[in-house]
Amino acid sequence: MSLRTSYKARRIALRIFMLLILAIFIVWTVTPIYIIVSNSFRKTIEMKVMPPKFIFEPTFTHYEKILTLDRFGVFFRNSIIISCFSTFLCIMLGSLAAYGLKLFKSKIGQRISNVMLLGKMVPSIALLIPLFIMMNRVHLTGTYAAPILTNCCLNLPFVTWLMVGFMHDIPDELIESASLSGCSRVSIFGKIIFPLLKPAIASAVILVMQSSWNELMFSLQLTNLNTYPLTVGIARYVGAVSVDWGKSSAAATITMAPIIIIGFFLQKYLVSGMTAGAVKG
Amino acid sequence: MKHRTFELSLERGDLLPLLLMMPTLIIILCIMIVPLIYGFVLTFFNAGFGNSGSPAFAGFDNWVRFFKDETSRKAVLNTVCFSLGATAGDLVLGTICALLLVKLPRIVSSIFRPIVTMPLLVSPVVVGLIWRYIYDPRGILYWILGQFGITIEDFPGVTMPSTALLSTIIAHWWQVTPFVVIVLTAGLLSIPDEYYEAARIDGAGAFNTFFRITLPQLRNVYMTVLIISGVDTIKIFDIIYALTGGGPNNSTISLSIYGYNQAFVQSNLSYAMVISVMTMVLSFLIFGIPFVRNNIASNKR
Repeated sequence: MSLRTSYKARRIALRIFMLLILAIFIVWTVTPIYIIVSNSFRKTIEMKVMPPKFIFEPTFTHYEKILTLDRFGVFFRNSIIISCFSTFLCIMLGSLAAYGLKLFKSKIGQRISNVMLLGKMVPSIALLIPLFIMMNRVHLTGTYAAPILTNCCLNLPFVTWLMVGFMHDIPDELIESASLSGCSRVSIFGKIIFPLLKPAIASAVILVMQSSWNELMFSLQLTNLNTYPLTVGIARYVGAVSVDWGKSSAAATITMAPIIIIGFFLQKYLVSGMTAGAVKG
Repeated sequence: MKHRTFELSLERGDLLPLLLMMPTLIIILCIMIVPLIYGFVLTFFNAGFGNSGSPAFAGFDNWVRFFKDETSRKAVLNTVCFSLGATAGDLVLGTICALLLVKLPRIVSSIFRPIVTMPLLVSPVVVGLIWRYIYDPRGILYWILGQFGITIEDFPGVTMPSTALLSTIIAHWWQVTPFVVIVLTAGLLSIPDEYYEAARIDGAGAFNTFFRITLPQLRNVYMTVLIISGVDTIKIFDIIYALTGGGPNNSTISLSIYGYNQAFVQSNLSYAMVISVMTMVLSFLIFGIPFVRNNIASNKR
């Protein structure tokens, strides 16, 4: 009897210890985000008061300043345009290419998509320098097309590979029976495959969206004052020059809030997109 | 009539797959392959922003310069250190958290997951900014450390070369560990319970169970994590750019930062391209070869 209670006590102690470590991990994860978000609502004088007060009177002056004086409203619009178009284009082309790869009878499709994944190894800087010269020559720098095309290209290998993996799971019998009942290969894609791909598309949307929303290096050089996305706005103005904590906290909050909110709602798909390749192997 | 035969050949032949893949291939060709070749050719010239005519041929000068350049050696060393430190930390911290998480009831992980995915979605440039404030001498970190009697002299953070690289690595851990946790949790849940059952019957301890069952079963998962997050650490740019900009005294300069500065600050496009090509070689040596071998192995199976 006493043996069992001591075993039980040890189990409970272990549970508490485990929860404690996870709690530390949560605090470690949340604190930096909390600091920046709460600072964006604090008055400048209160910001460097330690320990920080949890309850304070919020102020919106920092937001007013960066949205009106520092053109962050324009950057916000640019970020939306660039990331939405990149995501749309990338997923359209990626799923079409994946279907094309599936139509090859042999296993070659899977292999091509694996080779394409090698594209992830190319460092952005190696593409940026020649692209900068090339895009200057065709007068694409400063347009929305430049970052949209590069974001699309950077994500295409992964999206295609993801879609190939998901299409692999669609049973061949389904496609065969459709083609026996007279469906063409094009209408099979529209009527059967595309609807079944919805979860994969949701995963791709959140992954491509976050990568194009957060992309910095290409946009630094390929856009101009009228087409800067938020990340460049932060790097150019707030990060480099200003030491105004309030303004840069507000800018950082504006930059991370939308994508965190979208990610929260697409949570399930975000996780399945990230784990798809890893767990299937 | 002609239209019909075209449709027929689309239905039967291999034209349709090619047609479907064409846009993707064109984009990859134009934005990735052609620029890479063009950039490689560029390394044998002296291209800059100033000269409007065709750039002068330079032979292997830029390549020789890379191997003689002290800053480039430093950048290589920093990049490798960053990559190893960041990846190792991500994997160890992530493994510990994932192991704890799968042992606890489902409800805990369903609360845990939305919180923990947040850093993944934050732009790396914002991560750099956030950590700049944390490392501020009057910021929260030194206030907390001060409670334990640690001052800025003991841990100078981003202000001194000795700890600056470590500070950037910590910021990277903050962002990427959650990714490892999520992927590993999914991987751990996919291991059949019978394996653990069998281990328990054989009387294997927690230690043995982990190294004999969990790790080998997760081989593929670790491989993917290494390839996805490892390659990103070789290319590291945004976090360092926003956090230290490569300083102090080049102590956090990575190959991407050095290449960027050479190209867009010093206007040495050709030399910058040499640095970029070397970054690619490095990422292929460290992560590409395991990737290809793993692929060949899984194709055989």
